[in-house]
Amino acid sequence: MKRLLTLLFLFKLSFVFSQERTEIISISYDNKSFEYILKIIENKYDYSFYYVDEWLSEDLLSGDYIDIAIEDVLDILFKNTLLNYYRLPDKKIVVTQNSIIYNKLPEGYFDTERTLVVENEDYESDNVNPVFITEEKSNKVVKVATVRIGKENRNSNRKFFTISGVVKDTKSGKVLANAAIIVKGRNTGVSTNLNGYYEIDLRPGVNLIQTRNLGYKDTETRVIIYNDGRLNFDLNEEYEELDVVVVNVNKDRNVKDANTGVVQIKVKDIKNIPMVLGERDILKVAITLPGISTAGEGSAGFNVRGGKADQNLILMDDAVIYNPAHFFGIFSAINPFTAGDVQIYKGNIPAEFGGRLSSVFDIKNKDANTENFSGEVSIGPVTGNVVLEIPLAQGKSGLLLGGRATYSNWILRSLDEPSLQKSEASFYDVIAKYNHKIDNKNTLKITGYLSSDAFKITSDSLYKYSNKLVSLRWDHKFNNKHIGSIIIANSGYDFNIEFDGDTNDDFDFRYDINETEVKLKMKYNFSSEHKFDYGISGKLFDMKPGNIEPGRDSDIQALTIPKERALEGAVFLSDQFTINDQLQFNIGIRYSFYAALGESTQRLYEDGLPITDASFIGTEDFGPNEVIETYSGPEVRLSGRYFITPDFSLKGSYNNTFQYIHTLSNNTTVSPTDIYKLSDINIKPQEAKQYSLGLYKNFDDDTYEISLEGYYKRSENILDFRVGADLLLNERIETEVLQGEGKSYGVELLVRKSKGKLNGWFGYTYSRAFLKLDSEFMEDRVNNGDYFPTNYDKPHDFSAVTNYKFTKRFSVSANFVYQTGRPVTVPVGAFILDGAEYVLYSDRNQFRIPDYYRLDLSINIEGNHKIKKFAHSFWNISVYNVLGRNNPYSVFFVTDEGEIKAIQSSIFSVPIPTITYNFKF
Amino acid sequence: MKIIKVRSYLFIFSMMVFASSGCLEEIQIETKSFESVLVVEATITNELKQHEVLLSRTFRVEDEGPSFESGATVKVITEGQGEILFDEVDPGRYVSGEEFRAEPNVKYQLSILVGGRSYSSNLVQLTTTSQIDNLVAERRTNDQDQDGMAILVNSFDPTGNSRFYRFKYEETYKIVAPYWRMEDTVVLEDFDIFTALKPCDSVGFVPRPIEEKICYATQSSNTIILASTNNLNEDRLVRFPVRFISRDNFIIGHRYSLNVKQFVLSAEAHNYFEILSRLSGSESLFSQIQPGFLSGNIFSETNQNEKVIGFFDVSSVTEERIFFNFVDFFKGEPLPPYISDCETIAPLEVILSGCPLNGAVRSGRWKYLDLNTFPGDGEGPYLLVPRVCGDCTEIGTPEPPEFWME
Repeated sequence: MKRLLTLLFLFKLSFVFSQERTEIISISYDNKSFEYILKIIENKYDYSFYYVDEWLSEDLLSGDYIDIAIEDVLDILFKNTLLNYYRLPDKKIVVTQNSIIYNKLPEGYFDTERTLVVENEDYESDNVNPVFITEEKSNKVVKVATVRIGKENRNSNRKFFTISGVVKDTKSGKVLANAAIIVKGRNTGVSTNLNGYYEIDLRPGVNLIQTRNLGYKDTETRVIIYNDGRLNFDLNEEYEELDVVVVNVNKDRNVKDANTGVVQIKVKDIKNIPMVLGERDILKVAITLPGISTAGEGSAGFNVRGGKADQNLILMDDAVIYNPAHFFGIFSAINPFTAGDVQIYKGNIPAEFGGRLSSVFDIKNKDANTENFSGEVSIGPVTGNVVLEIPLAQGKSGLLLGGRATYSNWILRSLDEPSLQKSEASFYDVIAKYNHKIDNKNTLKITGYLSSDAFKITSDSLYKYSNKLVSLRWDHKFNNKHIGSIIIANSGYDFNIEFDGDTNDDFDFRYDINETEVKLKMKYNFSSEHKFDYGISGKLFDMKPGNIEPGRDSDIQALTIPKERALEGAVFLSDQFTINDQLQFNIGIRYSFYAALGESTQRLYEDGLPITDASFIGTEDFGPNEVIETYSGPEVRLSGRYFITPDFSLKGSYNNTFQYIHTLSNNTTVSPTDIYKLSDINIKPQEAKQYSLGLYKNFDDDTYEISLEGYYKRSENILDFRVGADLLLNERIETEVLQGEGKSYGVELLVRKSKGKLNGWFGYTYSRAFLKLDSEFMEDRVNNGDYFPTNYDKPHDFSAVTNYKFTKRFSVSANFVYQTGRPVTVPVGAFILDGAEYVLYSDRNQFRIPDYYRLDLSINIEGNHKIKKFAHSFWNISVYNVLGRNNPYSVFFVTDEGEIKAIQSSIFSVPIPTITYNFKF
Repeated sequence: MKIIKVRSYLFIFSMMVFASSGCLEEIQIETKSFESVLVVEATITNELKQHEVLLSRTFRVEDEGPSFESGATVKVITEGQGEILFDEVDPGRYVSGEEFRAEPNVKYQLSILVGGRSYSSNLVQLTTTSQIDNLVAERRTNDQDQDGMAILVNSFDPTGNSRFYRFKYEETYKIVAPYWRMEDTVVLEDFDIFTALKPCDSVGFVPRPIEEKICYATQSSNTIILASTNNLNEDRLVRFPVRFISRDNFIIGHRYSLNVKQFVLSAEAHNYFEILSRLSGSESLFSQIQPGFLSGNIFSETNQNEKVIGFFDVSSVTEERIFFNFVDFFKGEPLPPYISDCETIAPLEVILSGCPLNGAVRSGRWKYLDLNTFPGDGEGPYLLVPRVCGDCTEIGTPEPPEFWME
């Protein structure tokens, strides 16, 4: 029997017509098949069931019920199946497969950017996935036509004639499976098979044939039967009322959405992907898609389309997460059981988002089930995870609680580096989300999240960091055209380093950044041609860039780098403008405004000279909340789509973005001790412009999806650092910083097959990312002021994620990743100074480390499906890095005992098998 | 309304069969595109002496060592006091013609002319002076859990102007050859083809010089040791570790002396050496510093884009010496293992193809230990040990240095 392996939404189903009385029946069966039980009900109580035989499982069931409502019996029978039923008048029950009927809208339905305005007969709400189609409430009959079938044969004394045909969607011509064909007034009816085909035996004479199919208008046809014949039905989609909603997976969104470069990952889709240490990880899946990469294993942060790792706006339930990584990025800090999906915008970023140059990762946690208590528990090799969904008010409010923590420090110890043998690392994250549907017009959601990491790499220092966030979102529907949301979010990130050695320099270092955002966003569905999004947002940053305090018996001088404060505001307006069936535009404009605020002492440097201690001329003081410096500018978000054919589209976009906050990191990767710096008098905001153009095609009933997208991006004021910059506790950070120009371009190809025995995707990206640090002064110039590849420039990037289902119970998955090795700066010579040998380095990023490739395999075995078996089991055996490729993460050079040694570091250099046993009950 | 209830409890139990490993491994590198760059090593101090400037060029990573830059005109220009010329005494080694010391409040500039190209440094002044209060030797366990001896510096500048320090040291240690004996074997060269009973020379004994028993060796530091009091309330270094010697290092086996030189650096010089040491220092798996070319304060006057390595440094210096004996800290404990494990051999006097004992004695690589009283199969009459075990002059000199005190 099939089971719902992943239930993003709890569903409940009931389709009882009000005029129908509930019938009380008694039934008993012992080890009988499904079909047999349905037959008993049919015979005993004169019901008719309409179903396809192969839907019914062959498992044997037992039960004994006296005086029970028929619905209850059916609920019991249909529980744990993929089947639903639909009661029609006259004791007819239509069994449907797969179509899940909701009485509740899933998360995100009322998000303004995802709103479906129902009274408009219009389904162009492209961000919705899955698409929701309304089901009519009344059995309104469109028309009654009369059709005559066959030639009467006087000699015939047949009591029945066979009528067959195909049921199709009028508009798309798609055949409709599971449509019910019912003969009014008689206890007969059939439903169409997967090809939309049906066959029914009818009495000669007049028959009233009704069709019913979820999401389509009912029809009624008067058919006069003379002989065998053929009758096709064309059904029209029905969009009338938003009472009950049916889900279809929106497979053609790829082609339809007017935005370029949008990626969506759903947690339920990643179950079979082999993962390191058995941890399912939504952000790790993201990097298998074109255009998104990391510097390597064990590096946190993403490089999206040639952008630096600090250029991504990572949102969880509308609040920013500064460092969504645990344990140096080997795990992400997103709980895989609470996350619903992640939407990644790498091309055209909707106008409502801003503040980062390269991308938006919009992670939404699922809403708690408001009907039933449920939960998931997992014990993995590294972490334990508990997720509970607690209904608070039936059907109205619920609480989602999730917690995840490591057991021990063995991961670090198992890393084969002697210096880590005495190390410790532990992390946890907890999340709570409350959702409350106040009434049909008001919904409230509150999320709180905390993640924390602590690690010790040497025996005398302890590093800790944590992310905190709280967000509150109130969605309000003013009327059917106008929907608004108010979002209040507060996020914080802090880290601290405690050093406790045996000299007089023990210290405790702290860093803290906090931001509070208030955002109002509105969605106004003006007409079927124009849909507006508009709003205003304001964000206040408060940052303590560093504070050091002496430990016990320590001579360290307490030092506090003065706080920084800034305000970032924006107004935005966008119009989804549908010109005709082929052409649609998303025209967005955002005006962002930034003010660095006091209290502060700004250092001034002589104009026209490099910012160094030598050009320092004095300071200027600013009082509390006094404006130090402002920056502002319009950000254009323009994107368009043209359908060349209904499943083939061309899209193009242009957008520009500003970023007022920078990370100070001279490492390749996001490190937990990265400090952020707000723009001020000396450090200007970063700016980027991106052009992209793409072709999107779906084949074979959306089974295959192909997209080809190219981009060209230029950026300015990208931060880089002088050689060996010292960034912690530096009061004159601007003297370590260089700001340069970036240039990147690439082509991304994605082929995805979402159905069938073989499914999965492969992505290939050719891309380049360059940086130029030029100045008239030699000390501000890197590589003679020419463009040089960034340290995450990887021209070729290929990923394949595949799954092959041999049987219902047995499938095999494989991941393959190939990437060009990233650029490094290598020695081009050595020299002797004071008796020791040192390295002379090449121009920056002149050489590359060896290419990266990795193959992962996994075998997924579902346990057998006996109904009486208590638990449903699922085995996953996976091997990460099957080829045992010693992929270099980096190459660096050390002078040891006066000799230069080249050291290659890799994170996982051997195949890592993991066995996971899952069971749910 | 009726509800189909779907409860989903997912319980995942996972098991890890085999834990993974990350890995740091040394790889062979070759210089892909070699760049020959002038390397300048020039520190002048407030010591009255003939100061030195060393000039070399960078070399390929896979090569053995640098090529020295000969034939250069090297001078230090002192503000208002003329020039001090340096003469090349060895290839690449330039020594000032006369003794001088750097004076406070005078600006110095290094000037080099070589191969038609001229280089000069920024103007540099002598740093302030600071005294080493004392050195402390202490037995301790270091961060890597090794037992051993640490030598710590206490230093204080009451004016608070020094702030940046660099330490260099010279360590001198007494070596006692563990298997020194009164006599040495010697090949007597008595083989006479007409009278010999056996086809080899005989081996006799001569007295072994007592000088081969006890020696002294000296080594200089070859790492950049920097300290800064910039974040401290006082310009005071407390127990700053300059040197750590593992308990298993034979150099502390008897008596050990460390001479520490403390240089007061300018902020720029400190910054240069700090970045230099950071660029070459130990790295952890998870972080790395962006490497690149580090420019010092010496520039080419001929070609602005030409790279020059090195920092012209004018520092005040003080020094301090400390002695200690192994028994002072490891009383009753076994000595650290000697530099060699001193495995004995007992070569046969004669075999079919030659005279192994003669060969071993003549090679000078073996020293007599004892008679092999009960020779085993294939063993000769004498036990020999590697030379270093019976003769310390292999790694030291017999005369104690002038400063040595017992």
